Amino acid sequence: MQPKKTMRHLLVGVLAMALIIPALSCSSQAAEEPLLMELASSIIKISTFYDGTTLEVTGSVPEDADVVVQVSGPKHDVHLKEKGKVAGFLWMNKNDVSLENTPAVYMVYTPAGPVKNFLNPELGIGYKALVKDITIEPESADKAFIFAEYVKLMEKSGVYAVNQETVTYGPATDGVKGFSTTLIIPSKMSAGDYTVEAIAVKDGAAMGKTQENLTLELSGLPATISKMAYGSPLLFGFIAVFIALGTGLIIGVIFRGGGGAH
Amino acid sequence: MLHMYLPIAGNSVNVFLILGLGGFVGLLSGIFGVGGGFLMTPLLMMFGIPPTVAAASDSNQIVGASTSGTLAHMRLGNVDIPMGVMLLIGGVAGGTVGVQVIKLLKAMGNADFLIAITYVIMLGGVGGYMFIESLQGLRKAKNIDAETTTKPSTQKSGKKSMLQRLPLQYKFEKSGCEISMLLPLGFGVLVGILAAIMGVGGGFIMVPVMVYLLRMPMHVVVGTSLFQILFTCVNVTVMQAYSNHTVDFVLAVLLLLGSTIGAQVGTAVAKRLKADQLKIMLASLVLVVCVKMTAGLLMTPTIMVALKGGH
Repeated sequence: MQPKKTMRHLLVGVLAMALIIPALSCSSQAAEEPLLMELASSIIKISTFYDGTTLEVTGSVPEDADVVVQVSGPKHDVHLKEKGKVAGFLWMNKNDVSLENTPAVYMVYTPAGPVKNFLNPELGIGYKALVKDITIEPESADKAFIFAEYVKLMEKSGVYAVNQETVTYGPATDGVKGFSTTLIIPSKMSAGDYTVEAIAVKDGAAMGKTQENLTLELSGLPATISKMAYGSPLLFGFIAVFIALGTGLIIGVIFRGGGGAH
Repeated sequence: MLHMYLPIAGNSVNVFLILGLGGFVGLLSGIFGVGGGFLMTPLLMMFGIPPTVAAASDSNQIVGASTSGTLAHMRLGNVDIPMGVMLLIGGVAGGTVGVQVIKLLKAMGNADFLIAITYVIMLGGVGGYMFIESLQGLRKAKNIDAETTTKPSTQKSGKKSMLQRLPLQYKFEKSGCEISMLLPLGFGVLVGILAAIMGVGGGFIMVPVMVYLLRMPMHVVVGTSLFQILFTCVNVTVMQAYSNHTVDFVLAVLLLLGSTIGAQVGTAVAKRLKADQLKIMLASLVLVVCVKMTAGLLMTPTIMVALKGGH
């Protein structure tokens, strides 16, 4: 009796293992793969009456992970003037400082929920992560301070932003939940190529990333004017002057007629 | 609210706000004969327009406003063309010198300090002097009940003989004076240099120079100043568009629509005001700008860095 029982137990155990192992490996795959993201549109057109816009981002992540969305844009060198006191009491633009390899746009969208510390340089998210890639010229300048002041300047025009608790989740099915957020595209964000990146975070570590390109381009009147201003600047200058002169003359004549003096 | 995108400034603005701003500054230019750049540029910067674009587009706008204003003043007989031409030639020459002075100062490394100090001293000095002088004028006018109290003070009689000996004496009819052409030319150079150093059109310096140094009647000063500003700003607009790509056409047209109308209304207002009233109002305006600038220099800034202009 005894050996038979053991044999049966063993068999059940093996069978169970055979069922469970693939199921386990399957679920671990599921946890890594389904970080998907989609932009409502990959091109934003800047036309005559454009005043910034919003862009829907949707996607899916494993049920037990969080997702952070970040938008960043062309890296360039920023030339700044540091303010300082002249003659002991007058505040003026004083020293030249440059921040090299700085993105023109940087926006973060973090999810609502119990986990809070997403702005972590280890995850590559937030201003502290950003500052690691930036170099300062001259090297003697206080990088952390200058960058923090620069961030204030950029936040004022909306091209730098940390939007906490703005990513929301849908109900989970099969270990995967949907997420969505609305990107705020400020009018100060100029034409160019940007990347939108989704980062899946679990237990304080990044477990997956995916990215999409986002392009802002001038169209219609703004495109025409911009092309002309840079393409044929002298002609552009003269046209601008003639239109100003013409408007001045026309208004002058209208008022003379309307004034009824003669 | 209706917004429009400014392709050169790289920002969008509220259309009605800019129309209103243009109208207000146009009104001032019609009344006082100043371009209003010293007000417009800082206001545009407040709406997120880069300083270089704000200044260049403003000068394009002034072309329209001063055309409109000059026409209106011409009909009232307030434009002394020969005087305006002399000041203009001097102004252009002075501007060229001023640009070189700035280059020299920048190389020496203390340009910003000198610009700010010149600005504050000029605004304070000119505004303060005009304010006191026109206040006295208004008080006298009350007693005597006459409008023409801005006649030359005693200072001038000593210099007169020497000035009369200068060559190229010319009778400036509208201004009602017979002086050497070299005089307005020289003052033009002076204003041109100062204006270039401060990066402004110079209307607020030119007006007092005409009133106090050339002794022109206030109403002719306003008209002649506008005439002169028109040409200066045509030059600045073309140069800025050509070498710096900083003229935002959309912004300029919006400002223009407001300011050309404002300039007409301003001229009508100026017609009803006495010379001393005009002067004291302009003086107050200049003093307000002076106080604001001084406060900006003395107060600790909220953000310790600024984007470097130029590029």
